[in-house]
Amino acid sequence: MVVYSFHIFDRHAECIYSKRWHQAPGFSSMKSDRPRSGEILAANGDAPANKTLSREDDAKLIFGVVFSLRNMASRLGGDDNSFLCYRTKEYKLHYYETLTRMKFVMITDTKTNNLQLILHQIWATLYVEYVVKNPLSPAEHAGGVGVANELFESALERFVTTMLV
Amino acid sequence: MVVFSLLVVNKAGGLVFNREFHTGLATLSSNDLLILAGTFHGVHAITRQLAPAPVQPPNTPQNFPVRASGLEVLESSHFRLNCFQTITGTKFLLITEPAQPNVEIIIRRVYELYADFVMKNPFYTVEMPIRCQKFDAALDHFIKSRP
Repeated sequence: MVVYSFHIFDRHAECIYSKRWHQAPGFSSMKSDRPRSGEILAANGDAPANKTLSREDDAKLIFGVVFSLRNMASRLGGDDNSFLCYRTKEYKLHYYETLTRMKFVMITDTKTNNLQLILHQIWATLYVEYVVKNPLSPAEHAGGVGVANELFESALERFVTTMLV
Repeated sequence: MVVFSLLVVNKAGGLVFNREFHTGLATLSSNDLLILAGTFHGVHAITRQLAPAPVQPPNTPQNFPVRASGLEVLESSHFRLNCFQTITGTKFLLITEPAQPNVEIIIRRVYELYADFVMKNPFYTVEMPIRCQKFDAALDHFIKSRP
């Protein structure tokens, strides 16, 4: 099992935390500034399938996708129907929403089973413990203030590595 | 085993066919269905962009650039939506109950019926809404004859 990335969105549709783990070489942040032969080849054909995206752009796209799919699911299946995950040939995106409309999103490889429970655990045992119960953290995390504290980050890191085993 | 409905979306994102086989989902007006198909078309394109790792090239030697696939299966607590995109960009969306097995086979067979009764119909204009009695009948027969 491979975990690619993890995002938290608050109820104002803002990405308050994002973390990436495995990123294949030559993709996104690890890209060199010199063009490589593959890119030139792709530029001659139609638009390359994997364009380089910045982290913020990625988060915005992910939010747009889960927001649309969540609305689609509740419109088709009624209000009590919840969107759980979707899969493409390359990756699988898991989605969990708390009652306060916090959205937890995790992108993994396609062989992973349902991660609802895991995302719920991340919320209950990590986010609530280290972010909500932190007296110095603000109630609203505009721009991610208060979420990326040391305890939360290290606990999340540990949680994901134990999950992988 | 329940197959709720089938939607066909053309390559421009317009809904060209929809048929409900089994009640259980919310009934949507045709306007809402059009919005749904258009939204899905857009989301499908974005999901291709989000691929975290480069696409694995297939083993066969070829010069075509490998493209990421978009959304294939969407799971929710009440239903599962399977999307099959043909090479020409037409999307078949099959909505089934979450535990439905062999959806790939069903969707392939639906594609076959589409090729037989819609594409071979001389009066059908491509990318236009599908109104073919034989396609409807064959589809109903196929879905309802499944155990």
